[in-house]
Amino acid sequence: MVTTEEGGGKGAPSPEFRDAWDARDSFETPGEEEPKAVIKADRISFFYGAFQALRNISLEIMADEVTAFIGPSGCGKSTFLKLLNRMHDFVPGARLAGEVLVSGQSVYGPDADPVDIRRRVGMVFQRPNPFPKSIYDNICYGPRLVGVRKKAELDVVVERALRAAALWDDVKDVLTKSALELSGGQQQRVCIARALALEPDILLMDEPTSALDPIATSKVEDWIRSSGMTIVIVTHNMQQAARISDRTAFFYMGELVEFGPTLELFTSPRERRTENYITGRFG
Amino acid sequence: MFLTGYGKAARKRRDRLATVVIASLAGFVLLVLASLMTYIFVQGVSAVSWEFLSEFPRHAMTEGGIFPAIVGTVYLAVGSMCISIPLGFGAAIYLAEYAKPGALVSAVRLGVANLAGVPSVVFGLFGLSLFVTTFGFGRSLLSGCLTLGLLTLPTVTAAAEEAIRQTPASFREAALALGASRWQAVRQVILPAALPGMLTGGILALGRAAGETAPISLTSATAYSPALPDSPFNEAMALTTHIYNLATNGSDIAATRPQQFGTSLVLVTLVLGLSLFALVIRARLRRSRRW
Ligand SMILES: Nc1ncnc2c1ncn2[C@@H]1O[C@H](COP(=O)(O)OP(=O)(O)O)[C@@H](O)[C@H]1O
Ligand SMILES: [Mg+2]
Repeated sequence: MVTTEEGGGKGAPSPEFRDAWDARDSFETPGEEEPKAVIKADRISFFYGAFQALRNISLEIMADEVTAFIGPSGCGKSTFLKLLNRMHDFVPGARLAGEVLVSGQSVYGPDADPVDIRRRVGMVFQRPNPFPKSIYDNICYGPRLVGVRKKAELDVVVERALRAAALWDDVKDVLTKSALELSGGQQQRVCIARALALEPDILLMDEPTSALDPIATSKVEDWIRSSGMTIVIVTHNMQQAARISDRTAFFYMGELVEFGPTLELFTSPRERRTENYITGRFG
Repeated sequence: MFLTGYGKAARKRRDRLATVVIASLAGFVLLVLASLMTYIFVQGVSAVSWEFLSEFPRHAMTEGGIFPAIVGTVYLAVGSMCISIPLGFGAAIYLAEYAKPGALVSAVRLGVANLAGVPSVVFGLFGLSLFVTTFGFGRSLLSGCLTLGLLTLPTVTAAAEEAIRQTPASFREAALALGASRWQAVRQVILPAALPGMLTGGILALGRAAGETAPISLTSATAYSPALPDSPFNEAMALTTHIYNLATNGSDIAATRPQQFGTSLVLVTLVLGLSLFALVIRARLRRSRRW
Protein backbone atom coordinates (compact mmCIF):
# COMPACT_ATOMS: atom_id res chain seq x y z
CA MET A 1 0.00 0.00 0.00
CA VAL A 2 1.38 3.34 -1.07
CA THR A 3 0.20 6.58 0.43
CA THR A 4 1.58 9.94 -0.41
CA GLU A 5 -1.26 12.32 0.24
CA GLU A 6 -3.42 13.17 3.14
CA GLY A 7 -6.62 11.15 3.13
CA GLY A 8 -9.78 12.11 4.87
CA GLY A 9 -12.48 13.84 2.95
CA LYS A 10 -10.46 15.99 0.57
CA GLY A 11 -10.21 13.63 -2.42
CA ALA A 12 -11.87 14.93 -5.57
CA PRO A 13 -14.14 12.41 -7.23
CA SER A 14 -12.43 10.66 -10.11
CA PRO A 15 -13.74 11.31 -13.64
CA GLU A 16 -14.78 7.63 -13.81
CA PHE A 17 -16.93 8.05 -10.76
CA ARG A 18 -18.45 11.23 -12.17
CA ASP A 19 -19.35 9.44 -15.41
CA ALA A 20 -20.82 6.51 -13.56
CA TRP A 21 -22.74 8.73 -11.20
CA ASP A 22 -24.06 10.92 -14.01
CA ALA A 23 -25.27 7.83 -15.85
CA ARG A 24 -27.78 7.31 -13.06
CA ASP A 25 -31.06 8.91 -13.88
CA SER A 26 -33.80 9.91 -11.57
CA PHE A 27 -33.55 7.72 -8.62
CA GLU A 28 -33.51 9.15 -5.24
CA THR A 29 -30.51 9.28 -3.02
CA PRO A 30 -30.92 7.78 0.43
CA GLY A 31 -31.92 9.80 3.40
CA GLU A 32 -35.01 11.51 2.02
CA GLU A 33 -37.27 9.57 4.28
CA GLU A 34 -36.04 7.72 7.33
CA PRO A 35 -34.61 4.42 6.01
CA LYS A 36 -35.37 1.24 7.90
CA ALA A 37 -32.73 -1.38 8.60
CA VAL A 38 -33.74 -4.90 7.50
CA ILE A 39 -30.42 -6.57 8.18
CA LYS A 40 -28.42 -5.84 11.26
CA ALA A 41 -25.04 -7.46 11.62
CA ASP A 42 -23.50 -6.93 15.01
CA ARG A 43 -19.82 -7.45 15.77
CA ILE A 44 -19.31 -10.28 13.31
CA SER A 45 -16.09 -12.23 13.22
CA PHE A 46 -15.74 -15.16 10.90
CA PHE A 47 -13.21 -17.99 10.74
CA TYR A 48 -12.29 -20.65 8.21
CA GLY A 49 -10.58 -23.06 10.58
CA ALA A 50 -7.79 -21.00 12.17
CA PHE A 51 -7.93 -18.30 9.50
CA GLN A 52 -9.91 -15.22 10.46
CA ALA A 53 -11.66 -13.90 7.36
CA LEU A 54 -13.77 -11.17 9.01
CA ARG A 55 -12.91 -8.95 11.96
CA ASN A 56 -15.58 -7.47 14.17
CA ILE A 57 -17.90 -6.11 11.52
CA SER A 58 -21.09 -4.23 12.35
CA LEU A 59 -23.32 -3.10 9.50
CA GLU A 60 -26.93 -2.27 8.75
CA ILE A 61 -28.62 -2.87 5.41
CA MET A 62 -31.53 -0.56 4.67
CA ALA A 63 -34.83 -1.71 3.23
CA ASP A 64 -35.51 -1.10 -0.47
CA GLU A 65 -31.99 0.11 -1.10
CA VAL A 66 -29.10 -1.27 -3.13
CA THR A 67 -26.04 -1.76 -0.97
CA ALA A 68 -22.73 -2.47 -2.67
CA PHE A 69 -19.73 -4.23 -1.11
CA ILE A 70 -16.44 -3.26 -2.68
CA GLY A 71 -12.85 -4.08 -1.87
CA PRO A 72 -9.87 -5.96 -3.24
CA SER A 73 -10.16 -9.64 -3.99
CA GLY A 74 -9.89 -11.82 -0.87
CA CYS A 75 -10.96 -9.09 1.55
CA GLY A 76 -14.02 -11.02 2.74
CA LYS A 77 -16.92 -9.58 0.69
CA SER A 78 -18.29 -12.97 -0.36
CA THR A 79 -17.72 -14.39 3.10
CA PHE A 80 -19.79 -11.61 4.62
CA LEU A 81 -22.52 -11.87 1.99
CA LYS A 82 -22.89 -15.61 2.46
CA LEU A 83 -23.23 -15.40 6.19
CA LEU A 84 -26.37 -13.32 5.71
CA ASN A 85 -28.27 -16.38 4.44
CA ARG A 86 -26.24 -19.11 6.15
CA MET A 87 -24.55 -20.43 3.06
CA HIS A 88 -21.55 -21.34 5.20
CA ASP A 89 -23.48 -24.03 7.05
CA PHE A 90 -21.94 -26.75 4.90
CA VAL A 91 -18.37 -25.48 4.92
CA PRO A 92 -16.36 -27.65 7.30
CA GLY A 93 -14.47 -25.63 9.89
CA ALA A 94 -16.40 -22.40 9.23
CA ARG A 95 -17.24 -20.55 12.45
CA LEU A 96 -19.01 -17.32 13.25
CA ALA A 97 -19.11 -15.02 16.23
CA GLY A 98 -21.55 -12.13 16.58
CA GLU A 99 -25.18 -11.70 15.74
CA VAL A 100 -27.17 -11.23 12.54
CA LEU A 101 -30.78 -10.11 12.51
CA VAL A 102 -32.98 -10.20 9.41
CA SER A 103 -36.27 -8.32 9.88
CA GLY A 104 -35.66 -8.48 13.61
CA GLN A 105 -35.24 -12.27 13.68
CA SER A 106 -31.97 -13.88 14.65
CA VAL A 107 -30.30 -15.74 11.77
CA TYR A 108 -28.03 -17.86 13.94
CA GLY A 109 -30.11 -18.08 17.10
CA PRO A 110 -31.22 -21.40 18.55
CA ASP A 111 -34.66 -21.37 16.91
CA ALA A 112 -33.51 -20.03 13.55
CA ASP A 113 -34.48 -22.23 10.61
CA PRO A 114 -31.74 -22.05 7.96
CA VAL A 115 -34.04 -23.22 5.17
CA ASP A 116 -36.59 -20.56 6.00
CA ILE A 117 -33.87 -17.91 6.10
CA ARG A 118 -32.59 -18.91 2.67
CA ARG A 119 -36.10 -18.56 1.30
CA ARG A 120 -36.43 -15.06 2.67
CA VAL A 121 -32.92 -14.04 1.69
CA GLY A 122 -32.33 -15.13 -1.90
CA MET A 123 -28.97 -15.36 -3.60
CA VAL A 124 -27.55 -14.98 -7.09
CA PHE A 125 -24.05 -16.21 -7.73
CA GLN A 126 -21.00 -15.05 -9.61
CA ARG A 127 -21.33 -17.46 -12.51
CA PRO A 128 -24.81 -18.09 -13.88
CA ASN A 129 -25.71 -21.50 -12.46
CA PRO A 130 -29.05 -22.61 -13.88
CA PHE A 131 -29.84 -26.28 -13.37
CA PRO A 132 -29.63 -28.49 -16.46
CA LYS A 133 -33.40 -28.33 -16.74
CA SER A 134 -35.91 -26.29 -18.71
CA ILE A 135 -36.33 -22.58 -18.00
CA TYR A 136 -39.73 -23.37 -16.54
CA ASP A 137 -38.42 -26.05 -14.19
CA ASN A 138 -35.58 -23.79 -13.09
CA ILE A 139 -37.99 -21.09 -11.99
CA CYS A 140 -40.28 -23.63 -10.34
CA TYR A 141 -37.55 -25.24 -8.29
CA GLY A 142 -38.03 -23.11 -5.19
CA PRO A 143 -41.85 -22.95 -5.28
CA ARG A 144 -42.04 -26.73 -5.73
CA LEU A 145 -39.84 -27.17 -2.67
CA VAL A 146 -42.36 -25.27 -0.60
CA GLY A 147 -45.15 -27.45 -1.95
CA VAL A 148 -46.65 -25.54 -4.87
CA ARG A 149 -47.71 -28.37 -7.18
CA LYS A 150 -50.61 -27.20 -9.33
CA LYS A 151 -49.66 -26.36 -12.89
CA ALA A 152 -51.90 -23.29 -12.95
CA GLU A 153 -50.28 -21.85 -9.83
CA LEU A 154 -46.79 -22.60 -11.08
CA ASP A 155 -47.58 -20.92 -14.41
CA VAL A 156 -48.50 -17.75 -12.55
CA VAL A 157 -45.34 -17.91 -10.44
CA VAL A 158 -43.13 -18.43 -13.51
CA GLU A 159 -44.63 -15.54 -15.42
CA ARG A 160 -44.45 -13.19 -12.46
CA ALA A 161 -40.81 -14.12 -11.70
CA LEU A 162 -39.71 -13.81 -15.32
CA ARG A 163 -41.47 -10.46 -15.68
CA ALA A 164 -39.83 -9.26 -12.47
CA ALA A 165 -36.45 -10.27 -13.88
CA ALA A 166 -37.25 -8.49 -17.19
CA LEU A 167 -36.87 -11.73 -19.09
CA TRP A 168 -40.46 -12.65 -19.87
CA ASP A 169 -40.55 -11.16 -23.36
CA ASP A 170 -37.30 -12.91 -24.31
CA VAL A 171 -38.28 -16.39 -23.24
CA LYS A 172 -42.05 -16.65 -22.99
CA ASP A 173 -42.20 -18.84 -26.11
CA VAL A 174 -39.36 -21.15 -25.18
CA LEU A 175 -40.08 -21.98 -21.56
CA THR A 176 -39.48 -25.69 -22.13
CA LYS A 177 -36.04 -25.08 -23.63
CA SER A 178 -33.05 -26.02 -21.50
CA ALA A 179 -31.83 -23.00 -19.55
CA LEU A 180 -28.29 -23.97 -20.56
CA GLU A 181 -29.07 -23.05 -24.17
CA LEU A 182 -29.58 -19.38 -23.29
CA SER A 183 -26.88 -16.74 -23.50
CA GLY A 184 -24.83 -15.99 -20.37
CA GLY A 185 -26.78 -12.83 -19.63
CA GLN A 186 -30.11 -14.56 -20.04
CA GLN A 187 -28.92 -17.44 -17.86
CA GLN A 188 -28.04 -14.98 -15.12
CA ARG A 189 -31.49 -13.41 -15.38
CA VAL A 190 -33.03 -16.89 -15.19
CA CYS A 191 -31.10 -17.29 -11.95
CA ILE A 192 -32.45 -13.96 -10.74
CA ALA A 193 -35.98 -15.01 -11.70
CA ARG A 194 -35.44 -18.37 -9.98
CA ALA A 195 -34.52 -16.54 -6.77
CA LEU A 196 -37.42 -14.08 -7.17
CA ALA A 197 -39.93 -16.90 -7.59
CA LEU A 198 -39.77 -17.42 -3.82
CA GLU A 199 -40.56 -13.73 -3.33
CA PRO A 200 -37.64 -13.14 -1.00
CA ASP A 201 -37.46 -10.00 1.13
CA ILE A 202 -33.81 -9.50 0.27
CA LEU A 203 -31.63 -10.51 -2.67
CA LEU A 204 -27.90 -11.12 -2.26
CA MET A 205 -25.80 -10.95 -5.42
CA ASP A 206 -22.15 -12.00 -5.50
CA GLU A 207 -20.45 -10.33 -8.47
CA PRO A 208 -23.44 -11.21 -10.64
CA THR A 209 -22.05 -9.60 -13.78
CA SER A 210 -18.41 -10.61 -13.63
CA ALA A 211 -18.95 -13.47 -16.08
CA LEU A 212 -21.07 -11.37 -18.45
CA ASP A 213 -20.33 -9.17 -21.45
CA PRO A 214 -21.04 -5.40 -21.24
CA ILE A 215 -24.48 -5.58 -22.84
CA ALA A 216 -25.65 -8.38 -20.58
CA THR A 217 -24.09 -6.53 -17.64
CA SER A 218 -26.06 -3.38 -18.36
CA LYS A 219 -29.28 -5.39 -18.59
CA VAL A 220 -28.66 -6.89 -15.15
CA GLU A 221 -27.70 -3.45 -13.79
CA ASP A 222 -30.86 -1.95 -15.26
CA TRP A 223 -32.84 -4.63 -13.54
CA ILE A 224 -31.15 -3.98 -10.20
CA ARG A 225 -31.80 -0.22 -10.44
CA SER A 226 -35.44 -0.61 -11.32
CA SER A 227 -36.31 -3.52 -9.03
CA GLY A 228 -37.06 -1.51 -5.92
CA MET A 229 -35.93 -4.49 -3.84
CA THR A 230 -33.52 -4.67 -0.98
CA ILE A 231 -30.38 -5.81 -2.74
CA VAL A 232 -26.88 -6.43 -1.44
CA ILE A 233 -24.41 -6.72 -4.27
CA VAL A 234 -20.73 -7.61 -4.15
CA THR A 235 -18.74 -6.06 -6.95
CA HIS A 236 -15.07 -5.56 -7.64
CA ASN A 237 -16.03 -2.93 -10.15
CA MET A 238 -16.21 0.47 -8.51
CA GLN A 239 -18.00 2.07 -11.45
CA GLN A 240 -20.68 -0.54 -11.05
CA ALA A 241 -21.09 0.33 -7.39
CA ALA A 242 -21.31 3.99 -8.34
CA ARG A 243 -23.85 3.28 -11.08
CA ILE A 244 -26.28 1.22 -9.09
CA SER A 245 -25.90 1.48 -5.35
CA ASP A 246 -27.38 3.74 -2.71
CA ARG A 247 -24.83 2.83 -0.10
CA THR A 248 -21.39 1.36 -0.38
CA ALA A 249 -19.31 -0.61 2.08
CA PHE A 250 -15.57 -0.82 1.58
CA PHE A 251 -13.93 -3.97 2.93
CA TYR A 252 -10.23 -4.39 3.33
CA MET A 253 -8.41 -7.44 4.69
CA GLY A 254 -11.38 -8.71 6.65
CA GLU A 255 -12.34 -5.34 8.05
CA LEU A 256 -15.16 -3.00 7.19
CA VAL A 257 -13.19 0.17 6.62
CA GLU A 258 -15.97 2.53 5.65
CA PHE A 259 -19.68 2.39 5.01
CA GLY A 260 -21.88 5.22 3.85
CA PRO A 261 -24.01 6.71 1.11
CA THR A 262 -22.37 5.93 -2.23
CA LEU A 263 -21.96 9.55 -3.25
CA GLU A 264 -20.26 10.39 0.01
CA LEU A 265 -17.98 7.39 0.03
CA PHE A 266 -16.77 8.10 -3.48
CA THR A 267 -16.52 11.88 -3.27
CA SER A 268 -15.35 12.45 0.28
CA PRO A 269 -14.08 9.24 1.83
CA ARG A 270 -13.25 9.55 5.51
CA GLU A 271 -10.54 6.90 5.53
CA ARG A 272 -7.26 7.05 3.68
CA ARG A 273 -7.51 3.36 2.76
CA THR A 274 -10.85 4.00 1.10
CA GLU A 275 -9.46 6.91 -0.82
CA ASN A 276 -6.46 4.91 -1.95
CA TYR A 277 -8.71 2.14 -3.16
CA ILE A 278 -11.21 4.27 -5.03
CA THR A 279 -8.50 6.28 -6.69
CA GLY A 280 -6.90 3.04 -7.83
CA ARG A 281 -3.75 3.25 -5.76
CA PHE A 282 -4.06 -0.38 -4.69
CA GLY A 283 -6.30 -3.36 -5.19
CA MET B 1 12.72 -10.67 -28.73
CA PHE B 2 16.13 -11.93 -29.73
CA LEU B 3 15.60 -15.21 -27.90
CA THR B 4 12.60 -16.08 -30.04
CA GLY B 5 13.40 -19.06 -32.18
CA TYR B 6 16.37 -20.06 -30.07
CA GLY B 7 16.47 -23.86 -29.86
CA LYS B 8 13.36 -24.08 -31.95
CA ALA B 9 14.72 -26.66 -34.37
CA ALA B 10 15.86 -28.99 -31.57
CA ARG B 11 12.56 -28.62 -29.80
CA LYS B 12 10.67 -29.43 -32.95
CA ARG B 13 12.80 -32.51 -33.57
CA ARG B 14 12.22 -33.78 -30.04
CA ASP B 15 8.52 -33.06 -30.35
CA ARG B 16 8.31 -35.06 -33.56
CA LEU B 17 10.27 -37.93 -32.02
CA ALA B 18 7.93 -38.06 -29.01
CA THR B 19 4.90 -38.08 -31.28
CA VAL B 20 6.32 -40.98 -33.29
CA VAL B 21 7.18 -43.01 -30.17
CA ILE B 22 3.78 -42.46 -28.56
CA ALA B 23 1.95 -43.21 -31.79
CA SER B 24 3.84 -46.45 -32.36
CA LEU B 25 3.21 -47.60 -28.78
CA ALA B 26 -0.48 -46.92 -29.21
CA GLY B 27 -0.41 -48.69 -32.55
CA PHE B 28 1.27 -51.71 -30.98
CA VAL B 29 -1.41 -51.97 -28.29
CA LEU B 30 -4.12 -51.70 -30.92
CA LEU B 31 -2.40 -54.36 -33.01
CA VAL B 32 -2.21 -56.81 -30.09
CA LEU B 33 -5.85 -56.21 -29.27
CA ALA B 34 -6.93 -56.59 -32.87
CA SER B 35 -4.98 -59.84 -33.39
CA LEU B 36 -6.39 -61.28 -30.18
CA MET B 37 -9.92 -60.45 -31.23
CA THR B 38 -9.34 -61.75 -34.75
CA TYR B 39 -7.87 -64.96 -33.40
CA ILE B 40 -10.82 -65.59 -31.09
CA PHE B 41 -13.20 -64.74 -33.90
CA VAL B 42 -11.54 -67.01 -36.48
CA GLN B 43 -11.22 -69.88 -34.04
CA GLY B 44 -14.68 -69.55 -32.59
CA VAL B 45 -16.98 -68.39 -35.33
CA SER B 46 -17.35 -71.86 -36.87
CA ALA B 47 -18.80 -73.17 -33.59
CA VAL B 48 -21.32 -70.37 -33.12
CA SER B 49 -24.76 -71.06 -34.50
CA TRP B 50 -28.32 -70.60 -33.34
CA GLU B 51 -28.23 -74.11 -31.83
CA PHE B 52 -25.00 -73.25 -30.02
CA LEU B 53 -26.67 -70.27 -28.38
CA SER B 54 -30.01 -71.86 -27.63
CA GLU B 55 -29.38 -75.51 -26.70
CA PHE B 56 -28.10 -77.42 -23.72
CA PRO B 57 -24.75 -79.22 -23.99
CA ARG B 58 -24.85 -82.91 -25.04
CA HIS B 59 -22.53 -85.91 -24.99
CA ALA B 60 -20.41 -84.83 -22.05
CA MET B 61 -20.38 -81.29 -23.43
CA THR B 62 -18.67 -82.26 -26.67
CA GLU B 63 -21.77 -81.29 -28.62
CA GLY B 64 -24.81 -79.09 -28.28
CA GLY B 65 -24.90 -75.53 -27.08
CA ILE B 66 -24.10 -73.22 -24.17
CA PHE B 67 -27.53 -71.80 -23.42
CA PRO B 68 -27.46 -72.53 -19.66
CA ALA B 69 -24.02 -70.94 -19.36
CA ILE B 70 -25.26 -67.75 -21.03
CA VAL B 71 -28.26 -67.64 -18.72
CA GLY B 72 -26.08 -68.33 -15.67
CA THR B 73 -23.65 -65.55 -16.55
CA VAL B 74 -26.48 -63.08 -17.11
CA TYR B 75 -28.01 -64.02 -13.73
CA LEU B 76 -24.66 -63.63 -11.99
CA ALA B 77 -23.85 -60.31 -13.63
CA VAL B 78 -27.26 -58.76 -13.06
CA GLY B 79 -27.58 -60.24 -9.57
CA SER B 80 -24.21 -58.92 -8.49
CA MET B 81 -25.17 -55.44 -9.73
CA CYS B 82 -28.32 -55.59 -7.62
CA ILE B 83 -25.95 -55.79 -4.67
CA SER B 84 -23.08 -53.51 -5.65
CA ILE B 85 -25.12 -50.68 -7.18
CA PRO B 86 -27.29 -49.84 -4.15
CA LEU B 87 -24.40 -50.29 -1.72
CA GLY B 88 -21.86 -48.57 -3.95
CA PHE B 89 -24.08 -45.62 -4.84
CA GLY B 90 -25.02 -45.20 -1.19
CA ALA B 91 -21.39 -45.25 -0.11
CA ALA B 92 -20.45 -42.85 -2.89
CA ILE B 93 -23.17 -40.37 -1.94
CA TYR B 94 -22.03 -40.53 1.66
CA LEU B 95 -18.35 -40.09 0.80
CA ALA B 96 -18.90 -37.30 -1.70
CA GLU B 97 -21.68 -35.36 0.00
CA TYR B 98 -21.91 -36.05 3.69
CA ALA B 99 -18.64 -37.32 5.10
CA LYS B 100 -16.63 -34.71 6.92
CA PRO B 101 -13.02 -34.91 5.82
CA GLY B 102 -11.01 -36.74 8.44
CA ALA B 103 -9.09 -39.86 9.28
CA LEU B 104 -12.10 -42.19 9.08
CA VAL B 105 -13.15 -41.05 5.63
CA SER B 106 -9.59 -41.19 4.34
CA ALA B 107 -9.38 -44.74 5.66
CA VAL B 108 -12.62 -45.73 3.94
CA ARG B 109 -11.47 -44.23 0.67
CA LEU B 110 -8.09 -45.92 0.94
CA GLY B 111 -9.82 -49.19 1.70
CA VAL B 112 -12.07 -48.83 -1.32
CA ALA B 113 -9.08 -48.11 -3.55
CA ASN B 114 -7.15 -51.10 -2.23
CA LEU B 115 -10.08 -53.51 -2.38
CA ALA B 116 -10.22 -52.83 -6.10
CA GLY B 117 -6.73 -54.30 -6.36
CA VAL B 118 -7.35 -57.51 -4.42
CA PRO B 119 -7.04 -60.53 -6.78
CA SER B 120 -10.41 -61.99 -7.59
CA VAL B 121 -9.49 -65.48 -6.42
CA VAL B 122 -9.14 -64.04 -2.93
CA PHE B 123 -12.69 -62.69 -3.15
CA GLY B 124 -13.70 -66.17 -4.32
CA LEU B 125 -12.14 -67.80 -1.32
CA PHE B 126 -13.75 -65.24 0.96
CA GLY B 127 -17.15 -65.90 -0.61
CA LEU B 128 -16.63 -69.62 -0.32
CA SER B 129 -15.95 -69.50 3.39
CA LEU B 130 -18.49 -66.78 4.25
CA PHE B 131 -21.52 -67.27 1.99
CA VAL B 132 -21.19 -70.90 0.94
CA THR B 133 -20.09 -72.36 4.26
CA THR B 134 -20.74 -70.02 7.17
CA PHE B 135 -24.07 -68.61 5.98
CA GLY B 136 -24.98 -71.98 4.54
CA PHE B 137 -26.10 -70.67 1.15
CA GLY B 138 -24.15 -73.54 -0.45
CA ARG B 139 -22.68 -73.33 -3.92
CA SER B 140 -25.42 -71.28 -5.47
CA LEU B 141 -26.30 -68.29 -7.62
CA LEU B 142 -26.88 -66.36 -4.40
CA SER B 143 -23.36 -67.04 -3.10
CA GLY B 144 -21.95 -66.15 -6.53
CA CYS B 145 -23.90 -62.91 -6.78
CA LEU B 146 -22.92 -61.85 -3.26
CA THR B 147 -19.26 -62.60 -3.96
CA LEU B 148 -19.27 -60.80 -7.31
CA GLY B 149 -21.23 -57.96 -5.71
CA LEU B 150 -18.45 -57.45 -3.17
CA LEU B 151 -15.83 -57.81 -5.87
CA THR B 152 -17.32 -55.04 -7.99
CA LEU B 153 -18.31 -52.83 -5.06
CA PRO B 154 -15.04 -50.83 -4.99
CA THR B 155 -15.18 -50.09 -8.71
CA VAL B 156 -18.82 -49.05 -8.54
CA THR B 157 -18.22 -46.89 -5.46
CA ALA B 158 -15.14 -45.15 -6.81
CA ALA B 159 -16.72 -44.43 -10.20
CA ALA B 160 -19.91 -43.12 -8.60
CA GLU B 161 -18.03 -40.92 -6.13
CA GLU B 162 -15.98 -39.48 -8.95
CA ALA B 163 -19.12 -38.78 -10.99
CA ILE B 164 -20.76 -37.01 -8.05
CA ARG B 165 -17.66 -34.94 -7.40
CA GLN B 166 -17.61 -33.84 -11.01
CA THR B 167 -21.02 -32.21 -10.83
CA PRO B 168 -20.43 -28.48 -10.45
CA ALA B 169 -20.50 -27.21 -6.86
CA SER B 170 -22.62 -24.35 -8.17
CA PHE B 171 -25.63 -26.68 -8.61
CA ARG B 172 -25.51 -27.59 -4.95
CA GLU B 173 -25.12 -23.95 -3.91
CA ALA B 174 -28.02 -22.90 -6.11
CA ALA B 175 -30.32 -25.57 -4.67
CA LEU B 176 -29.38 -24.80 -1.07
CA ALA B 177 -29.81 -21.08 -1.64
CA LEU B 178 -33.35 -21.78 -2.86
CA GLY B 179 -34.20 -23.45 0.42
CA ALA B 180 -33.49 -27.09 -0.45
CA SER B 181 -32.42 -29.34 2.37
CA ARG B 182 -29.17 -31.21 1.99
CA TRP B 183 -30.88 -34.38 0.83
CA GLN B 184 -33.21 -32.52 -1.53
CA ALA B 185 -30.22 -30.90 -3.19
CA VAL B 186 -28.54 -34.28 -3.56
CA ARG B 187 -31.60 -36.11 -4.83
CA GLN B 188 -33.07 -33.46 -7.12
CA VAL B 189 -30.00 -31.79 -8.51
CA ILE B 190 -26.74 -33.62 -7.85
CA LEU B 191 -27.81 -37.19 -8.56
CA PRO B 192 -29.63 -36.50 -11.83
CA ALA B 193 -26.56 -34.65 -13.06
CA ALA B 194 -24.17 -37.38 -11.88
CA LEU B 195 -26.26 -40.35 -12.95
CA PRO B 196 -24.75 -40.94 -16.40
CA GLY B 197 -21.26 -41.18 -14.91
CA MET B 198 -22.48 -43.35 -12.05
CA LEU B 199 -24.25 -45.75 -14.41
CA THR B 200 -21.22 -45.96 -16.67
CA GLY B 201 -19.21 -47.26 -13.72
CA GLY B 202 -21.99 -49.74 -12.95
CA ILE B 203 -22.10 -51.11 -16.47
CA LEU B 204 -18.34 -51.50 -16.65
CA ALA B 205 -18.49 -53.42 -13.37
CA LEU B 206 -21.22 -55.59 -14.87
CA GLY B 207 -18.83 -56.51 -17.66
CA ARG B 208 -16.15 -57.32 -15.12
CA ALA B 209 -18.53 -59.55 -13.13
CA ALA B 210 -19.48 -61.42 -16.29
CA GLY B 211 -15.81 -62.02 -17.09
CA GLU B 212 -14.69 -63.41 -13.71
CA THR B 213 -13.74 -67.08 -13.42
CA ALA B 214 -12.22 -67.95 -10.06
CA PRO B 215 -14.87 -66.44 -7.76
CA ILE B 216 -17.66 -68.00 -9.81
CA SER B 217 -15.95 -71.35 -9.92
CA LEU B 218 -15.47 -71.30 -6.13
CA THR B 219 -18.95 -70.14 -5.13
CA SER B 220 -21.61 -70.96 -7.65
CA ALA B 221 -20.61 -72.74 -10.83
CA THR B 222 -21.41 -76.24 -11.86
CA ALA B 223 -19.73 -77.92 -14.80
CA TYR B 224 -22.91 -79.28 -16.26
CA SER B 225 -26.54 -78.75 -15.48
CA PRO B 226 -29.43 -80.39 -17.29
CA ALA B 227 -31.83 -77.58 -16.39
CA LEU B 228 -31.82 -73.84 -15.84
CA PRO B 229 -31.60 -72.73 -12.22
CA ASP B 230 -35.05 -72.10 -10.79
CA SER B 231 -34.04 -70.63 -7.44
CA PRO B 232 -31.20 -68.46 -6.13
CA PHE B 233 -30.04 -71.48 -4.17
CA ASN B 234 -29.33 -73.52 -7.31
CA GLU B 235 -25.92 -73.94 -8.81
CA ALA B 236 -25.61 -72.61 -12.34
CA MET B 237 -23.30 -72.86 -15.30
CA ALA B 238 -21.39 -69.79 -16.46
CA LEU B 239 -19.52 -68.90 -19.63
CA THR B 240 -16.11 -68.42 -18.05
CA THR B 241 -16.14 -71.60 -16.02
CA HIS B 242 -17.49 -73.49 -19.02
CA ILE B 243 -14.46 -72.43 -21.07
CA TYR B 244 -12.17 -73.34 -18.20
CA ASN B 245 -13.72 -76.78 -17.79
CA LEU B 246 -13.66 -77.61 -21.49
CA ALA B 247 -10.06 -76.50 -21.77
CA THR B 248 -8.74 -78.29 -18.70
CA ASN B 249 -10.69 -81.45 -17.91
CA GLY B 250 -13.12 -82.31 -20.66
CA SER B 251 -13.18 -85.85 -22.02
CA ASP B 252 -11.53 -84.70 -25.24
CA ILE B 253 -9.92 -81.33 -24.83
CA ALA B 254 -8.60 -80.93 -28.37
CA ALA B 255 -11.90 -81.92 -29.98
CA THR B 256 -13.85 -79.24 -28.09
CA ARG B 257 -11.44 -76.45 -29.08
CA PRO B 258 -14.04 -74.84 -31.40
CA GLN B 259 -16.61 -74.84 -28.56
CA GLN B 260 -14.05 -73.25 -26.24
CA PHE B 261 -13.40 -70.45 -28.70
CA GLY B 262 -17.05 -70.20 -29.60
CA THR B 263 -17.89 -69.67 -25.93
CA SER B 264 -15.06 -67.14 -25.64
CA LEU B 265 -16.43 -65.27 -28.63
CA VAL B 266 -19.86 -65.09 -26.99
CA LEU B 267 -18.36 -63.92 -23.70
CA VAL B 268 -16.15 -61.26 -25.28
CA THR B 269 -19.02 -60.01 -27.39
CA LEU B 270 -21.20 -59.75 -24.31
CA VAL B 271 -18.58 -57.82 -22.32
CA LEU B 272 -17.56 -55.54 -25.18
CA GLY B 273 -21.21 -54.97 -25.99
CA LEU B 274 -21.80 -53.81 -22.42
CA SER B 275 -18.79 -51.48 -22.49
CA LEU B 276 -19.95 -50.04 -25.78
CA PHE B 277 -23.40 -49.57 -24.36
CA ALA B 278 -21.86 -47.68 -21.40
CA LEU B 279 -19.89 -45.46 -23.78
CA VAL B 280 -22.98 -44.67 -25.81
CA ILE B 281 -25.07 -43.71 -22.78
CA ARG B 282 -22.30 -41.51 -21.50
CA ALA B 283 -21.84 -39.80 -24.85
CA ARG B 284 -25.57 -39.19 -25.23
CA LEU B 285 -26.06 -37.85 -21.72
CA ARG B 286 -22.94 -35.72 -22.01
CA ARG B 287 -24.34 -34.12 -25.10
CA SER B 288 -27.67 -33.35 -23.47
CA ARG B 289 -26.07 -31.70 -20.42
CA ARG B 290 -23.35 -29.24 -21.14
CA TRP B 291 -22.06 -27.24 -18.26
N1 LIG C 1 -13.94 -22.12 2.09
C1 LIG C 1 -12.87 -21.41 2.49
N2 LIG C 1 -11.93 -22.01 3.26
C2 LIG C 1 -10.85 -21.30 3.68
N3 LIG C 1 -10.61 -20.03 3.37
C3 LIG C 1 -11.51 -19.38 2.60
C4 LIG C 1 -12.67 -20.04 2.12
N4 LIG C 1 -13.38 -19.16 1.38
C5 LIG C 1 -12.68 -18.00 1.41
N5 LIG C 1 -11.55 -18.13 2.15
C6 LIG C 1 -10.58 -17.06 2.42
O1 LIG C 1 -11.23 -16.03 3.08
C7 LIG C 1 -10.79 -14.76 2.59
C8 LIG C 1 -11.97 -13.98 2.10
O2 LIG C 1 -12.52 -14.63 0.97
P1 LIG C 1 -13.76 -14.06 0.18
O3 LIG C 1 -14.82 -13.72 1.15
O4 LIG C 1 -14.10 -15.05 -0.87
O5 LIG C 1 -13.15 -12.75 -0.49
P2 LIG C 1 -13.76 -11.80 -1.62
O6 LIG C 1 -15.13 -12.28 -1.96
O7 LIG C 1 -13.71 -10.43 -1.02
O8 LIG C 1 -12.82 -11.89 -2.79
C9 LIG C 1 -9.77 -15.06 1.51
O9 LIG C 1 -8.49 -14.91 2.08
C10 LIG C 1 -10.03 -16.47 1.14
O10 LIG C 1 -8.83 -17.10 0.76
MG1 LIG D 1 -15.84 -13.11 -3.79
